[in-house]
Amino acid sequence: MNGWGIPGITPRIAGAMVQDWGTHDLVALLVVTQLFAPAATLAAIGLPALFGRPFGERKTTRLVGAGFTIGFVAGLAMLVVLAARGYAAEVVHLGTWFSVGHHQATIELVADGLSVPYVCFSTGLCALVNAFAGKYLHREPGFTRFFVLLALFGTGMNLMVLAGSIDVLFAGWEFLGISSALLIGFFHERPNALRAAVRAFTTYRICDVGLLTAGVVIHRAVGSGDFDRLFDGTWPTERCLLPAGTAVVVSLLLVFAALGKSAQVPFSNWLPRAMEGPTPSSAIFYGALSIHAGAYLLLRFESLLDAAPIARVLIVLIGAGTALHAAVVGRVQTDLKSMLAYASMMQAGIIFAEIGLGLRVVPLVHIVSHAVLRSLQILRSPSALHDRHELEAALGGHPGSGAWSLRELLPAGVQRQLYRVALDRGFEEMAIIRGVINPVWTLLERLAGLEKAWTDWLGRSPRSPRPGRDGGLG
Amino acid sequence: MTVASIHASMIILIAVIVAAPLVAAAAVAVGMSRTSLRTPAAAGLALSLVVSLGITWLWHASDGAAFEYGERLGGGSLIHVDGITSVLLPYVAVVELAIILVAPKRFLDAKATVRSLLSAAATFAVFSTAHPLALVALWIATAVPTWMSTRGTPGGRPAARVFATAMLVAVVCFAVGTALMIVDPPWERNAGIAGNAGGWLVALAVLIRKGIVPFHSWYPSLYSGAPMSTALGATMPQVAAYTAVRLLIGHADHGDGVAMELVVLSQLALLTAVYGAALALVQRDLRGLIGTLAMSQSAMVLAGLAGKEPMELNGALCIWISSGLALTGIGLVAWSIESRAGPLSLATPQGRFRDAPALASFFLLFGLAVIGLPGTLSFVADDLIVSGSLNEQLHAGLMTIASTVLCAIAVLRGWFMVFGGPTAIDGPRHLILPRERVAMTGLLLPLFLLGLYPAPLVRSLERAAGQLLGVPVEEAGNPPPSLQESSSGS
Repeated sequence: MNGWGIPGITPRIAGAMVQDWGTHDLVALLVVTQLFAPAATLAAIGLPALFGRPFGERKTTRLVGAGFTIGFVAGLAMLVVLAARGYAAEVVHLGTWFSVGHHQATIELVADGLSVPYVCFSTGLCALVNAFAGKYLHREPGFTRFFVLLALFGTGMNLMVLAGSIDVLFAGWEFLGISSALLIGFFHERPNALRAAVRAFTTYRICDVGLLTAGVVIHRAVGSGDFDRLFDGTWPTERCLLPAGTAVVVSLLLVFAALGKSAQVPFSNWLPRAMEGPTPSSAIFYGALSIHAGAYLLLRFESLLDAAPIARVLIVLIGAGTALHAAVVGRVQTDLKSMLAYASMMQAGIIFAEIGLGLRVVPLVHIVSHAVLRSLQILRSPSALHDRHELEAALGGHPGSGAWSLRELLPAGVQRQLYRVALDRGFEEMAIIRGVINPVWTLLERLAGLEKAWTDWLGRSPRSPRPGRDGGLG
Repeated sequence: MTVASIHASMIILIAVIVAAPLVAAAAVAVGMSRTSLRTPAAAGLALSLVVSLGITWLWHASDGAAFEYGERLGGGSLIHVDGITSVLLPYVAVVELAIILVAPKRFLDAKATVRSLLSAAATFAVFSTAHPLALVALWIATAVPTWMSTRGTPGGRPAARVFATAMLVAVVCFAVGTALMIVDPPWERNAGIAGNAGGWLVALAVLIRKGIVPFHSWYPSLYSGAPMSTALGATMPQVAAYTAVRLLIGHADHGDGVAMELVVLSQLALLTAVYGAALALVQRDLRGLIGTLAMSQSAMVLAGLAGKEPMELNGALCIWISSGLALTGIGLVAWSIESRAGPLSLATPQGRFRDAPALASFFLLFGLAVIGLPGTLSFVADDLIVSGSLNEQLHAGLMTIASTVLCAIAVLRGWFMVFGGPTAIDGPRHLILPRERVAMTGLLLPLFLLGLYPAPLVRSLERAAGQLLGVPVEEAGNPPPSLQESSSGS
């Protein structure tokens, strides 16, 4: 990888690393613009809102839109520059965030064949959804809150995609999780939305353990979280520098981290419920970007997977299992957003399987094409009935459903069994609730009850009458 | 500045930081300010805050050398200022000032104000000394106002009894242990059984005062029964953690491994961090949630302090500040809403978002600052403590991670349960008051500013941790020792 620096920000480091000042300065400026444009709009609309002076709808939409548009344009310019240089990876070092002894958290970004196309696509999509949401959420209570969270999501997405170190990637990953949970619970007066938000956040946090631990293992192994200490070469042909044993451990931890965000079995049941959020956020999160965050993570660490065949096998099995599960369960859903959620899950599963099989460019193309199609479908979903009526009017009757289905090849008994399995969402949720959540919750509630009884006993008045033999604890 | 002038200035500043709340308390007690009790109290604490920043500046101006003054007994002198003091004194001042600014008007009568100020003065004194006997006296001085305030609260007597029982045992253990340690210092080569027994008694006192399992019951109980200001004032400064730093960690033989007391403290603290966070998940009222979260975070501080790695110690000090500021913020938001709308249950969604949108935003931001949102100080703290503990012991690292995960889920669930849910359209609106906004912003700013630019704080704490552990500060950027060995071998 070539070194890049930003004069005025880290002149010492930049001076040491820079080889070609003119182009390097330009790319560094573009990367920083890409990253900070949505972050600046987050501060610009968030701070006045916090102090009780939120901007009007038009100003809010324009500011956030401007942030994404500037980021998108910077991304396109970066893409042109990179293409001209044959997609050689460039590292932009913004300095050391903090360091204790040998432990360093560096702010390092990378512009390469994976991050730049992805960031163009994600900021472009965010800009489009921003424009859609400005109209869709007109006069909605919480209008500013939505755009603050959208800007937070955009910032997190850019951080994650452009990350050149595991610390920066983890920071972006966390922004994605928190903005996703808060947007699922956007309609806070609906108890179902609250439950869905807590469920999604719980899944995210449990799976984040994988990424957090992987980061610590990487730091311990190479003394830094920078990718240029992990990989040699340029994506997609880079080579892993970690020892084989460490690479297997890190790969398995990363696979675990990826399962939550990408709703893979057995952490998939939060996704259909996440559709409780506003339609624009459902489109951008669960149709386009957040659902593919896990896949992006695995693509970024592809060369580690080369050193961990067991992780590859696991990814293929999980991906294929998720695709099958979503294909079966999605067929019996009775509302459009749930159907689309399962369709997203199925495609994410297939993308996982592709990554597991060692493909690199195919999953990237699959992600982009699936995200564009699915977000369009979700954005149109509130108008589905209207669209249907228009179609019927044009055809002069029902369009009919003469399509042949693979299901018809199955015996009737198997069809019935599959139908039952699909209605119960593959028993996945039931198994987790009965096998994990209920026992743990009951144990914790009993412990809390014992705590209260003990504290009540300690705090009783010495003069209060003692409970009699029949009185129990009173 | 000359060394003599720095010493003279330091003594004056330490005297002022303790005296300012005492003078304010005297002014309130004699009725000098009849119109508003808040004004003299806030003025006294604001002066303490300014002076504490002066102490920090002075410590840095003196090249970070520890300043000691007065009789030295049992390893500590009467006035002791080092890197830890210079960071913790402003932290305590911010917390105390924020509590006074947010306190609802009907709570702030003369007695309550005087108790708060006396407690604040005693806490400032604790953080300015390393003298064992002074620490014993100040433990009592900080506990008595808390007990009186809790006892005077309607329905608070059971909590006051639990608190009094715990503190009585803790103070007796601490006093006896300190006496034994002074007679027979356990850190000296020819230490006898008395000195070792003293060390264990002080460790036991720390466990009780910090609310570590199995001596933790008073912690959530205090949050349930005492006024929020009393509970926050008694727990957020973490007097016992400071005592552990001065009497146990500072004297542990880190060359051959930490003392056995620290190992026990560390393991029990880890257990408490996970247990408290797990209990926080099933709390049915907001005060219970804050109490168990505070218990968990406080235990995390002790777990880090008792670790062998300077990184853990650094992370523990960061958590001390970040969780303290953030939980104080959550507690104050809860108190503001409770004073307007009554107790807050978590059994069903309370629907307070529409009533109090600004308070909901502050609660969320403080909550995110507790759970380690990137850009907040707690993210840095979590990173350091998790890395440090995983380097040391696998189970310690996993328990630390489990605690952070459970805390995060509990906080977000709490926010959704308090602010989510159906709301009456014609219900009352609870607008945030300017003094509340000032106090909460004052708590938020350091959390975010130090989170975005943590390097100066971390460097300062690294130096303090190095002084405490008696190890030189490592050069950043060097690979870990294991790698150095392997690379030299190859």
